Amino acid sequence: MYQLLQFLIRQRGFFLFIVLELISIGAVFTYNNYQHAFYFNTSNSFAANLLSQVEKIKTYHNLLEVNEVLSQENARLQNELFQLRNKQNAPSELPYFASQAVLRQYQLSAAKIIVQSTHASQNYLTIDKGFRDGIRPGMAVISSTGIVGKVISCTENLSLVISVLNTINSVSGKIKKNGELGFVKWSGWQPEVVDFMDVSKYKKVSKGDTIVTSDYNSVFPRDIPIGVVAKLGIKDDGNFHDIKVLLFTKFNTLQYVYVVKNTLISQQQKLEEAIPKSE
Amino acid sequence: MDLKGNIKNILVYLLVLLAQIFLLRDLGIGGKAFLFLYTYIVIKAPIFTNRNLLVFLSFLAGWLVDWFYDTHGLHAFSLVLIAYLRPLIFKMLTPANGYDERSKVSLREMTWLWYLPYVSIMLFIHHSVLFILEAFDPSLLGLSLLKIFLSTLLGLVTFLLIELFSTE
Repeated sequence: MYQLLQFLIRQRGFFLFIVLELISIGAVFTYNNYQHAFYFNTSNSFAANLLSQVEKIKTYHNLLEVNEVLSQENARLQNELFQLRNKQNAPSELPYFASQAVLRQYQLSAAKIIVQSTHASQNYLTIDKGFRDGIRPGMAVISSTGIVGKVISCTENLSLVISVLNTINSVSGKIKKNGELGFVKWSGWQPEVVDFMDVSKYKKVSKGDTIVTSDYNSVFPRDIPIGVVAKLGIKDDGNFHDIKVLLFTKFNTLQYVYVVKNTLISQQQKLEEAIPKSE
Repeated sequence: MDLKGNIKNILVYLLVLLAQIFLLRDLGIGGKAFLFLYTYIVIKAPIFTNRNLLVFLSFLAGWLVDWFYDTHGLHAFSLVLIAYLRPLIFKMLTPANGYDERSKVSLREMTWLWYLPYVSIMLFIHHSVLFILEAFDPSLLGLSLLKIFLSTLLGLVTFLLIELFSTE
């Protein structure tokens, strides 16, 4: 017995080695034959947690690229949405079919905002798409949540957009619920709020109503969200509602916008020029 | 080895482990060559480190790596093996004038003819055991051998770079 003990002590390095190797190889054969689900125990979920934190940091560096991709995908989806919307016109008694050209009337392309102001009284944005990308003055600019503005001039690679937050820019709109027409105009301060003008005080408007772009709009497609009625009153002259609209588009954090190309605009303008002017 | 050197060593070992777990874990060149930097702990340990201590420490380090690699016991097994075999390899490669008390495992103190075979053998044993155990399938032997060879090469290059840039 004593000799055995002495032997063990003399060879303790070897035994330590053997014991540790047996533990390891035991673990290999106990756990690794089972599939991953089995050994995802508490200790490993701790490890997984740590790793996912590291992963988060890694993904942070990809965010720019991801944003780009997502905004392009959004543009594509919005495109399809417009097509579907045009197809699904108001239910009519007569058989109505929209032509292919009408279905594809609106085409979107995503752009990134390079420069923008929200605190000046006349606000503009500069976006990173221009003539080369098919952008032309007069096109509508929207965000994923609502309207943004209108392209007023383009260079080869950039475009200048006049924001809704500009007192000389007004957009025709309607109350989504009952179709009452009016137009949206910025009062020159508060980048979150615009006025909805020209609604007679005899028309029914209530707080929380959604305002969207109207059907009679040469720039924006119809039914693009603008905002919700936040405050109601009567104008000083006593004839119109004083409506404050909270914008859907958050200009302060806006990064990507979509430029809407109206492929039928030239035809539309040509027709409208033909309207006989009453002298 | 003085206290300051010991603390420095421990810090370096921790750093190596962290690098292995968080940086090198998902890295593989072409899915064939992998870098197991944590073998640094055993390979670069001072020559006269107590063998039992080293075996025990390498078990802990290997287990930690296993924990994050989801490979229970694989890395622990391989690392303990090379920690235990290290003195034998030293004996095989004994330079003409032997080792002295202060010898370090480094190119500066040893010759190329000692350092290269030493690191290669250590890495080769470690990677062989690791990849063959990991695959544990004779039909994957060819792929495992390729991985062993390429990973050993990658490890060798890395250890040479460490030598070239180390200030000691």
